[in-house]
Parts: sequence; structure tokens; C-alpha cells
Amino acid sequence: MILIGVDVGGTFTDIILADTEKRKLAIHKLPTTAPDPSEGVLSGILGLCSREGVLPEQVDYLFHGTTVATNAMLEHKGARTGMITTEGYRDIIHIGRHQRPQNYSIMQDIPWQVQPLVQRRHRKTVSERIAPPQGKILVPLNESEVRARIRELKAEGVEAIAVCFLFSYLNAEHEKRACELVKEEFPEAFITSSAEVSPQFREFERFTTACMNAFLGPKVKRFVLGLSERLEGAGLKGDVHIMTSNGGVATARTIAEKPVYALLSGLAAGVLGGEWVGRRTRRENLITFDVGGTSADIGIVTSRGITEASSRDTQIAGFPVMVPMIDVHTIGAGGGSIAYVDAGGAFRVGPRSAGSVPGPACYGKGGEEPTVTDANVVLGRLDKEHFLGGEMPIYPEKAFDAVARLAERLGFETYETAEGICTILASNMANAIRSRTVQKGHDPRQFSLIAFGGAGPMSAVDVAYHLKMPEVIVPVYPGITSAFGLLTTDLKYDLVKTELLISTGKPAAKLSQDMRELEAAVREQLLKDGLPETRIRFLRSLDLRYLGQGYELRIAIAEGGFDDDSCEGVWAEFHNRHRAEYDHCFPKNPIEVVSLRVTGLGMMPRLPDDFDRNPVAKLEDAWLKTGETHFRVKGILQKLRTEFFDRMRIPPGATIPGPAVLFQKDTTTVLPPMWCARVDQSGSLMISRSS
Amino acid sequence: MSKATSPASKTRGKIDSIAAQVIWGALENIAIEMGHKLTRMSYSSIIRESEDFGAALLDPDCHQLCESVFSTPLQLGPIPGYVRGIKRVFEEQGEEFRPGDVIMHNSPYYGASHGPDIAFCVPVFDGSKLIGFSVTTAHHLDIGALVPGSCGIVDAVDAYAEGLQFKGIKVYDRGTKNEQMWRLIADNIRASEMVIGDMEAQISASRTGAERYLELVREHGLEAVLAASEYLMDYSETMLRREIARLPDGTYRAEGFVDGFENDPDPAKRDLKIVVSAKVEGSDIYVDFTGSSPQIPDRPVNMPFEGTVAIAVYLVLRSILLDTETHEYIPQNSGLTRPIHIHAPLGSICNPTFPAPTIARFCPGNIVASTLMHALSQAAPRQVSAGIGNLKVVAYSGLVQGSYWVYMDITEGSYGGRFGKDGLDCVDTLYANTRNNPIEDIESHYPLRVQRYEMREDAGGAGTWRGGAGSIREVMFLSPGNASVEGDGHLHAPWGLFGGKQGSCGDLVLNPQSNVRKLPAMISNLSLRPGDILKTVSPCGGGYGDPVKRDPIAVMNDVLDGFVSRETALRDYKVVITDQITIDEDATNELRGRG
Repeated sequence: MILIGVDVGGTFTDIILADTEKRKLAIHKLPTTAPDPSEGVLSGILGLCSREGVLPEQVDYLFHGTTVATNAMLEHKGARTGMITTEGYRDIIHIGRHQRPQNYSIMQDIPWQVQPLVQRRHRKTVSERIAPPQGKILVPLNESEVRARIRELKAEGVEAIAVCFLFSYLNAEHEKRACELVKEEFPEAFITSSAEVSPQFREFERFTTACMNAFLGPKVKRFVLGLSERLEGAGLKGDVHIMTSNGGVATARTIAEKPVYALLSGLAAGVLGGEWVGRRTRRENLITFDVGGTSADIGIVTSRGITEASSRDTQIAGFPVMVPMIDVHTIGAGGGSIAYVDAGGAFRVGPRSAGSVPGPACYGKGGEEPTVTDANVVLGRLDKEHFLGGEMPIYPEKAFDAVARLAERLGFETYETAEGICTILASNMANAIRSRTVQKGHDPRQFSLIAFGGAGPMSAVDVAYHLKMPEVIVPVYPGITSAFGLLTTDLKYDLVKTELLISTGKPAAKLSQDMRELEAAVREQLLKDGLPETRIRFLRSLDLRYLGQGYELRIAIAEGGFDDDSCEGVWAEFHNRHRAEYDHCFPKNPIEVVSLRVTGLGMMPRLPDDFDRNPVAKLEDAWLKTGETHFRVKGILQKLRTEFFDRMRIPPGATIPGPAVLFQKDTTTVLPPMWCARVDQSGSLMISRSS
Repeated sequence: MSKATSPASKTRGKIDSIAAQVIWGALENIAIEMGHKLTRMSYSSIIRESEDFGAALLDPDCHQLCESVFSTPLQLGPIPGYVRGIKRVFEEQGEEFRPGDVIMHNSPYYGASHGPDIAFCVPVFDGSKLIGFSVTTAHHLDIGALVPGSCGIVDAVDAYAEGLQFKGIKVYDRGTKNEQMWRLIADNIRASEMVIGDMEAQISASRTGAERYLELVREHGLEAVLAASEYLMDYSETMLRREIARLPDGTYRAEGFVDGFENDPDPAKRDLKIVVSAKVEGSDIYVDFTGSSPQIPDRPVNMPFEGTVAIAVYLVLRSILLDTETHEYIPQNSGLTRPIHIHAPLGSICNPTFPAPTIARFCPGNIVASTLMHALSQAAPRQVSAGIGNLKVVAYSGLVQGSYWVYMDITEGSYGGRFGKDGLDCVDTLYANTRNNPIEDIESHYPLRVQRYEMREDAGGAGTWRGGAGSIREVMFLSPGNASVEGDGHLHAPWGLFGGKQGSCGDLVLNPQSNVRKLPAMISNLSLRPGDILKTVSPCGGGYGDPVKRDPIAVMNDVLDGFVSRETALRDYKVVITDQITIDEDATNELRGRG
């Protein structure tokens, strides 16, 4: 089977082609084309196919990670959108949770007030009302009002409409009917409804998600359908699948209807790629650490799989978004992060970045401020001849000048300053990881750090040191790990239903019935995508909390229906999880079921575990030179004799003690003293503390 | 001419600036983790949804080292004062901190903000050495006051009527739970299961903070942690002094008014005056409340000096001078209080004496903050907003089968216009920053129906930059119950600035559709029947700058969005909007006097 993965980033488009039978892998990196990235995608795929002697029609599957939806949100460039909502609640998406994003600011802006997804003039109300707990109709839907509002919106020139009614997660009848009316009155509009996108309680978050879906809809739909057509026109007949925020893939058609599912498309692929690397080295607990020039993306993988964000913590461009997303945490720390002294005299690194233009001072493109990359140049860890395969010229003297200027302001010595930059960066990154692990009951000492991206392997060991993590793993191709990730996943649909039930109220029958309904709906979606019954799997879970609490914990549920006994098991598991997360549980208190979830998986072909590689036999052949680098040992900054190697030529099984620097085309791995590296059978670099 | 900034550096050794960054990050993380645990474990929506809680670590001298950034300033700021209060109680009683203690405290005359905001303080020991305090505070639903709930207790005649007073009570003594104390609490407060669940969540979060802090101290050494903390406090102090030094020296004055008790026969209980004079001298600022109304001996609108007035001053000065939108993130720690000196005459509403009641001090405190901002508008015109709309806090309650339900709803206010920006609509203002509770959550758990939740139209103060809009919220009772309200802003509209018009007053109405009854902003335990509707209307912020200078396109957009009516556009903004909602440019130019 031939699989292609395409990861379109801001700077580069990475393409990977895998032949699962011949166990062959080919990769291709080219600049991302603007304004239409699909041009680069197409020419890149065709170029790679012809290089590898593969005909376009032989490609079976194409997986794509895209930032189209993400960028449209970050730049606030979406469709003119209208909203139809319940009378009396026109401003839910404007008032939000009435909290200011910043505690200490008079001059701040609130994203949904200064850049609303739907301007107030396009927010129309109609009479209707559903009421809890059963979703009974309190006020019937006034259909003639709905028609009149749709005509107004059409006259106002909106392209997309979101239908958002209170309590629609309990009873979606009114939303569905209003959508039908939109299709009658204004068939060319992009139409979405809140229960269809996310049938969960909390109206501000749900309405905002629906409005975002509508806001993104026309643009993303044009992009994905356009791309599919283009590919098909070039002879690529394989199904196009788009990476989704929950770490699965969906068909282009699904994403054309539900673009909010693709908001983390690019980020999710990185975490999956990191997971794949870690699994091949048989590690269970992983922290994926994808570092570029500007930012670091952090994901958590445990034996339960990739960690999902709680639906209360997911946001994009400051807007809440209530769809299943993997928990990726981004901080402004990377190779281009700028070091400076602020007005109060504090030594800071990032979040401001030199980016690729002007870039670090050592690039010689006009950057004057010292960056993390410059600090590594000063410390001797980056080398003129081998930086990025020698294709990118660097000017060490410019790095020295920039760091020396900062050193003067701080009253430090130049090398101390360079080392301080690396320490502060690693500490910032370690704190970000701590906030995703320790706070959620994970102990980073039981995790391996999977370091990739252009700048990940440069700082990873320092970060592991701060967190007392035992091990760092650097994959074979750190620069294209995200593209790999695209080829490791399955079709994945999450269906969620809010259903407030109490443990003491014999909920088994209702739960069984709801679960069956959700499964049937997911199965239908997968069958529609052409999956045979044999390749469909389900994962089930319940979101639970103690009655009266406001946050839920997700508990996985085994196959089969519910009875009183199996419910008891679920409650017991909840008490355990609550204790694990918060050091405390309340076994006597009733538990409230908040929602049911079914994840339907359509199994996709797998990448083989191993690919052909041609490593040389002896470590000597990988040796490049002996140089001098600076590291802090036992609190003292020292100049140390250091070996430099070509990472791709290091044979499996060979062990390299630190200090050492390992070069490869897409990154540089820094191995400090007291750590050693070994290449394992899968080709990954395994870095651990020297015994 | 620039003025000298007073030197703050004492401990800035060479390596400290790097080590300080490392330790700072770790400290902030601990406080965030404490807050995270507290919200996720707690029961009442006032903590878990509204986030009316605080979490912080203090050094042994009660300097705040760090705070949970995801909670409300009004809970965070007072924490050092709570622990100073506990220390004072312990000195008076001959009591000592011991490992394993958990101390409960809420006395407003010993540093607390007001009675319902209860602190749980865990002293942290390394061996037998006291190395600091891990503390959480949170607003509790009920503390056994004369009427249900813990807000809108507006008839409390003294501190005893406000509910239980906890003055440095060890609810765990050297690790042993004081069971009798907990029984006493359970027997004397309403909705006690929920309240005690919240208290347990607080204790658990405080203990987590203590453990993490001890780990940090063991890793870096106490000396390094305290040196780093001192470095950070000096740093925050330096940053604030720099900004104060930029203001022209001088004394800036303003007056503000709190509605108080509109229908009370005693005029001394209405239109309570807050007088602020802020003297800028070099890099110090002296805030004086001399001239403010005397304390009200038998109504709870008096403000604890340390826990409310000082906090309002610190927080509003920080928000104006070190605004996180325009400044880098500066650690919120005790260094920020050093350049600020506050005086309020004893016996005034800003510095009452025991046992004057204080439980409903929330709205007056925000007027303290707003009046200080008004005074500073003369010195820092581009860093302030015009007058803000004050909030309302409503306690809904009822009795079902002998048990109380209590639900607290905080109704948002709005900001005034700002230089270059309109005011924020429908948000908590100045020293408060809580969250509302979703309608879909309220109706699923209480016999209430939220019938309407929308913005007010055509009510923000006109200005070059318009005042923000407040909200309208209508809540219907589905079964018999009661409502208590503490609010403000019915009698005094938010002030306009630099030619901007004043905003609009708020309102409170019973049954807006039929049998309309207008209510004052302070209501104690009003009995309501099923079908009764309480409508809150929040004030709208004042305008900033002359409305005639507002861009006509912005005015047209406001008309399109319903924020401003065509009549107001014509009258206040002198912009002529046509029937098609376009600008009649000729008529507008003529009206505005050019053309």
C-alpha cells in the first residue's frame, strides 16, 4: 500500500511517502506556497512520486495536516456570518463568561467583543425555548419568524449561518427545523447548528463553537474541496483525509462541514509523530516536545493514549472551542527566542522571537539581538561547517557580539551569559511541561521526552535535567516527525451527548440506551466513509463529577451495556481517578453523569515498524572532529574537549558519552557531560544519564 | 526632567538573575496548581464557575511570593493580610504555629476581606523550622448569617449578625482534625454539605501547595528561595516605582459616591462619600481618604481597611501603572505594595472600628478603586477608563424538604471609554474578576429560569470612545424562595471623562412585565412566589473625550449593531444617520460645524 502524508507549516511543506509492502520511505521538504498552499502540495507530491517511481494513481491514501482553519482564526479572516438564536439571549457570545481575560489591565481587549465571530447586527432572535431537565418545549419555534430572519440575513450579505438555541443539547428539534428552513430560504449559505457541532451544556462555549464553525466554513470548504479536486485532476485517486484536532483523521467532506474539527490539525500531527517514535522504542509514558524557531508544542502520552484537553480548557485565538482536542500546550520558546534585559533589570528569554527574518544574529541577516541559537554558537555547540547540513551559512562572530552586548548590560561574562540564556529557556520549557504533568497527577520522572523539530534536540537534555526525567529520545528525522504522525492514525469521530444523570437514580438503562444510539450514529458515519464493518472499533467513556462539582473526569467504559453491577464498577473507578488527580475522594457522595462519549475508529493501514536504512558499521566513520564547548559541571562553567559526530552515520548499538554534539541535516543534538547517547534498532537516539 | 528612582537592589547577586527566573517559574506553577485543584474539587458554583477564590504562598514574614493567576484579584490581594491577622491572634492568645496545623480565618478586623471569604492557612515547616505559609481563600455560600446566603446580608447590624467569626481557629491541630469544631460549623451554617465540601477542597489545595513549596525549598535551599523571592519583590517594586516616577509630582483629588440605602429614613445611610487624594512624590504615592463618610455603625457597607480598601488601592494602581496589556508580565507580589502608602481616618467608612458590620463592603470597595482611578486620570490620562459600572451580587435561596438551596449570582458591570478604545461591555470591573454561571447549569440545578440575558442598548456614555454596555438579566422563581441583593449604581451614574458624557444608572425591578415594582440596590431576603421575576440592570460606563470627535463611521456601526440609537447619534454625536443606516455626510458636517 502507498501512503502519503503532507504537513503544511508556515515555512515548509513536508511530504512523506511510505510503501508499506516494500518497507520504503521517502521524504521531501519544500517551501510552503502562498497564498494557495495547495499548489506546493500538488507539485511536491508529483515531484516525490516521480522521484520514487510511483505513479500518482498508485497512491492509496493521502493524509493532510493543514493550518488553513487555524490561520483563519488567528488572523480573524473568515466569512461574514449570521446567527439565529433564542429570543432574550442575543448577546450570549458577546457577554461570554463576563470575565476579563487579564486581571490587571485597563487597556485590554476582549477577543469576542472587538472581533466578534458574528457582529451584533447579524445576530437575530426568534421565539422558541427548550427547558431542562428533559428538553421539553416551553415555547414552540415560530417558523415564520425564522424565515423572516433568514431573509434579513440573506439581504445583509452573510455567507454562513449558525443556529444556536438554549438547551439544544437536550432536544435539537428546533435547531434542526431552523436549519431546514435555512436550506429552503437560503440554500447557498453555509449552515451549522450548535447541537450538531457540540451537543454539550454551557451556552457561551457551545454557541461560540457553532459560530466559529460557520465563520470558518466557506473558506475551509473551498480549500479542502479545491485540494481534493486538484489532486484528482492530477491523477491522484486515493482518498484525501484531513488530520483533526482529536488526533484522528476525517474525510475531506466531513471537514468541509465541520472545519472546527481541524483547528489543531497541524499540532496534533506532531504529537502523533512523537507518540509513534516513542512506541517503537517501547516506552509508555511520553512527553512530546516539538520545538521550532518561535514556539515549543508539548503533548502528553500515557498508557491511556494521547491526553485530551478538558472541554473547558480548549481555545483558539482567545475564543473557547468546545470540540475534542488533544492536549497540546504551546509556549513562546524556541531557537529564535530573544534574550534581553527588561526595564526592571530582569534577564529574560522569549516569548519574542527573531523568527526566520531577520533570524538569530549568527544568520547575518540583520538580527542584532542575541537568541538561543546564538547562545549555542557562543558555547561551541553549533558549528559553522555542519549547521543544517552546511547549507545555511552562520557567522559565529555576530553571535559573540550580540551575546557580549547583553553580557555587558547584565554585568556577566560572555560565556556565563550564553549559558544563562540556555538555562532560562530550559527552565521556561520545564515549567510549561510541569504545568501539564504535575498539576494533573503525572510525575515527569516516569516519562521519556521525545524531542524533535529543528530546535528540540538542542535544549531537550537541559529540560530533562530540570524535570529530573531519565531519558530523551530523538527520532531519526526530527524535522519531519509531524508528517510521520499523519501516517500513524485512524479515522476518528467523537460523538458526545450531555445527559445529566445521578448515580443514586438507577441510571443503567438510560445509559445503555444512550450509548447504543451514539454508537449507531458513529457507525453510520464510518460506513458512509466507506469503512467495512471489520475495520470499525469503538471507545466509550463517561464524563463524571460529584454532584455539585463543575469539572468532570473522563472514565473509560468497557464494551457492552450497563447494569447495576457495571455501574458500581464505573463509580469505583471514578473515586480512584478523583483521588489520583486531586489526592482526595468523597466515596459517600453521589456522582453525576454529565456526558457520554463514543469514539468511532476506522482502522487505517499501518506504517511498518522498520524501514531499510544503510548505517555504516563503525562509530569512527561517523566521527567528524574534536572541538571545544562550554558546559556547566558541578556549578562551574568549564571549557571541555568535545567530540562531534554525523548522527545519520552512527551505527545501532554504539554508545557516545557526553559532552558531544551530533549533527544532522534537520537539527543538532546537544549531549552535555554526565549524559550518554545510544542509537537503538529503530534508529532513534536514546539519551540517558551516564551511570 | 526625570526623577530619581529609589534604589531597590539589595540582594542582586550575579547568579541570582538566572536562578531567580528559575525559582520564580516554579513558584508560580505551585500557586496555579493550588488554584487548579481548588476549582476542580469544589462544589459551589461561586468557586468552580465564578472563580471567586485565591491561592498564594507566603514567606515566614507574610510577604507574598506568588499567586494563582487564574482567580480573582479581590481574593488574591488580601492573603498576606489574613496571615498577618492570624499571627496577631496567635500573639494575643499565646498560640503557636506547629507542623500539621490547618488554620481557618475570616475576621475582617484581623486582616480578612470580609466574613464569607474564609482562608485556610497551612504553615510550612522544614523539620521544626517555619519556612512559609500556603494559603487559599474562597467565598463561601453561607456562614450562618441572619438570612440565607452570604451576600446581600444588608441588614446586619454588627459583626455578630454577619455569621460565624473565625479568628485563627486550628481546624487541624498538629495533624489531628478538630471534630467538634467541624460539627459546630455544620450545625450553624446553611447548605452545610456543600460549604464543607468546598472547605475540604481548600484544605486539600493548601496542603498541596505546602508540599510543593517544601520540595522547592529542599531542592534549592531556603536561602536561595528567599533570596530569589526578595529579588522578585525588588524587581516588581522597581517596575512600579519607575511608572510612578513618570507621573508628574502633585496631589490629585476626586470624589465618588456609593448609593448606600436609598430608602432608609436616615440620610446618613445614603450617598456615602468617598474622598481620595493621591499625592505623587518621586517614586512614591500617598493615598489619603480623609473626608470620606463616617462609618455606618449598624449597616454592613463599612470596608475593612487592610482587607478591602488597601487591596482596592493596590489593585487599581497596578492595573493602571503596570497594565499587563501594555507592560511585560510583572510578578504580583508584596514588592508592589512598597511604594504605596495609604491612610484612612479611623472610624470612617474606609477604616471602621469593631464591631461595625462589613459583610456588604464589595460595592463600596469598587467605588474606592474607581474614585482613585478618577483622581489619577489627571496624571495618567491615557492609562485610565472613564467611570465604571458597578456590580450586583444576588443570593437566591429556598427551602426544599427542610434543606436549604443557595445560589449566588454576580451580575457584571461595564467599563468606561478609554484612550483609543471603547469601554468593555458586560464584565466584572476593577478589583473583581469572577465568571458568570452558564444558564444551562443554573436551570439544571436550581428552581430558577433565566429568562433573559442581553446587553443594554443606547446606554453607554457618549464619547470619542464610548462607555461599555451593561447587561439586563431576568431570573424567574419556579418555586417559592427568597432573594437578597447588594448592589450599587442606581443613584450615581459612572462619570464621563475629558468631555465624554456620563454613563447610565443601573436598576432592579420586580416583575418587569406586570405589577412592576422598582427596588433599591440593597435588598434583604425578599420573599418571592413561583413566577416572580427579578430583573437586574447593570450600569453602563462613562464616555471618554468629546462625542463630536467620534469617527462617524464608528457611530454608524454602533447604530447598525444597536449599541446607539439614531436619536443619540444625532443628539450626542452630531452624526446624521439616514433611514438606510448610512451617514448623511453633508448634514453631519454641517451639524459638526465644518463643511
